[in-house]
Amino acid sequence: MLAAFRSRWDSLPRALQIVLGRLALVIPQMFGVLLVTFFLIRLLPGDPAILLLGNMATPDAVAQLRDRLGLNDSVWTQFVSYVGNVLHGDLGVSIFTSNPVTVDLMERAPATLELIFYAMILTVVIGVVIAVVSVVRAGGPVDVASRIYGLAAGAIPDFWIGLLLIYFFFTLLGWAAAPFGRIDAMMSPPPYVTGFLTIDSLVAGDLETFWSAVGRLLLPVLTIAIVNAGALMKMTQSIFAGVWRSDFVRHARACGVPERVIIRAALRNSLPPIITMIGFLVGFLLGAAVLVETIFSWGGLGQYAVQAVMNSDYPALQGFILVASAFILVVYLVVDILYELVDPRIRV
Amino acid sequence: MTRVPQALRRPAAVIGLALLLMQIALIVLAPIISPYSPMEADPAASLQPPSMAHWFGTDITGMDVLSRVIHATRINLLISVSSVALAFVVGVPLGLVIGYYRGWLSGLAMRIFDFVQAFPIFVLGMALVSVTGQEIWNVAIVLAVLFIPIFARLIRAEVLSLRERPFVAAARCSGAGDLDIMFRHILPNALMPAMVQVSISIGMAILLTAGLSFIGAGVRMPTPEWGLMVSTGAQQMILGVWWVSLFPGLAIVVAVLCFALLGDVVRDLLDPSRARKTKAPAGVALPVPGPVPGTLGESR
Repeated sequence: MLAAFRSRWDSLPRALQIVLGRLALVIPQMFGVLLVTFFLIRLLPGDPAILLLGNMATPDAVAQLRDRLGLNDSVWTQFVSYVGNVLHGDLGVSIFTSNPVTVDLMERAPATLELIFYAMILTVVIGVVIAVVSVVRAGGPVDVASRIYGLAAGAIPDFWIGLLLIYFFFTLLGWAAAPFGRIDAMMSPPPYVTGFLTIDSLVAGDLETFWSAVGRLLLPVLTIAIVNAGALMKMTQSIFAGVWRSDFVRHARACGVPERVIIRAALRNSLPPIITMIGFLVGFLLGAAVLVETIFSWGGLGQYAVQAVMNSDYPALQGFILVASAFILVVYLVVDILYELVDPRIRV
Repeated sequence: MTRVPQALRRPAAVIGLALLLMQIALIVLAPIISPYSPMEADPAASLQPPSMAHWFGTDITGMDVLSRVIHATRINLLISVSSVALAFVVGVPLGLVIGYYRGWLSGLAMRIFDFVQAFPIFVLGMALVSVTGQEIWNVAIVLAVLFIPIFARLIRAEVLSLRERPFVAAARCSGAGDLDIMFRHILPNALMPAMVQVSISIGMAILLTAGLSFIGAGVRMPTPEWGLMVSTGAQQMILGVWWVSLFPGLAIVVAVLCFALLGDVVRDLLDPSRARKTKAPAGVALPVPGPVPGTLGESR
């Protein structure tokens, strides 16, 4: 039986093996996430039903929710009913907005995803380009600057640099768009296609909205990238420097291969650890987005979470943690799969 | 000989130590050197730009920014240092035990660490602080919980390789018990990366504390705290009132930079290739030098 399974498994294509193997790992992880969010609320002193409904709740409503959550049952029954609710997409009702948390989160997710997406691209471009130039031209001005930047980037709070950027580029110079939301308040958002305003406005052929959205994205994206590119740069530097010293690079150079081609080959060889790092970066960016969204009134998941914290809106907080964790698990899953696909030397 | 070690004479080390001394001085002398009370509002002097009377200006309630920045050094360093100390005290023995005994329980602990570390540390910290209550000590405890896996993991990685070394076998042959081997023979040799991590973690803790306070999930007004001070100035920044947020932010940068530089100093001081020149403490087994000393710090 086991042997038969084994041979079936081995006959599967490598890519499929990788994907299936990883998917099997996600299920216990997702279970862990549910356990954490479940106990998050039960850690609190007091009646979870009152916490979830807020102080203004009527005794009837509390009794009803106690019943629905099964608070009179054992912890395990409660957990099972919680998992059931989550699987049906029911994350409770936000105390603050009185909307279902699922609806709130769905509404705000595109804003955060768009921010993180562009911040990610800029972070990777800054980090990798500086790292490569500083290794290839070791001792040059970029190398020296990269060392200072690497040290400083880890020490700068993102919320502070965001405020400074607003002060310089909006208040003093007037170059940047106002830090209030994703597009000009006078404009109506383009019809919903992907949720990314930059893409939706292009689909709708509305260039004015597109430029407004780009302008609004500029500062928050820059803020996140400045702070996070430092870590990626240092990491890429050390990996790339290792590859740069390796024999095949020396050989290629001795053979007269042009520098550009060598750099490309060396970068291709340093790719797997960089991809892992980028995966972790998504987690950091999500954390950074919480702070940066608040500063730029972005109206995304991060700002929602901050409001939830400030208003003791526990269903919203619980929902945010759940969705954020699930999102990160999916990102790690994709990264792991990419990692193994990119590096054929790794055996499944 | 009372020569200053090489590691302490590099410019980065001098700057780092000078910054540390400055902060210690600020903590001790805060009430003496700060020109105003850090928590006394003066509505008549609201949002004054930096001047001779108020070097760093005043915030919206008229509190002196300089005095608050100075006093906040106490709270911020208290939270960061105590959270890291707690994480070290719990994480190190935990990592030692997990690395030494390798049963299913150790495996489970590692999976839990993986799991905790997979989350964005800030998001998790925010959730935990808001759930446990927004008090100074809760912030410190939550940060400690988040840092425990880092220390446990570092120690475990060292222990895994050390426990196979001949000196451990030698100790066991001479009748040393498990506890003896763990704490007297393995631990002293496994501590180096964790010591370097202490300094780096304090820097991280400062940033996290400030971030938590900034969004309102940490220390509350009117307690002087850097992140909170940046957030009180955040609304006015756009109107051109830069001083309320600028100075506390600079204080954060200086503090984190200081501990980042000190981390390098600690690593250079503890580097095995240097440590071998000095006399080993009695009763401590020296590690067998690895094939390439000096790469130890690089690989982390």
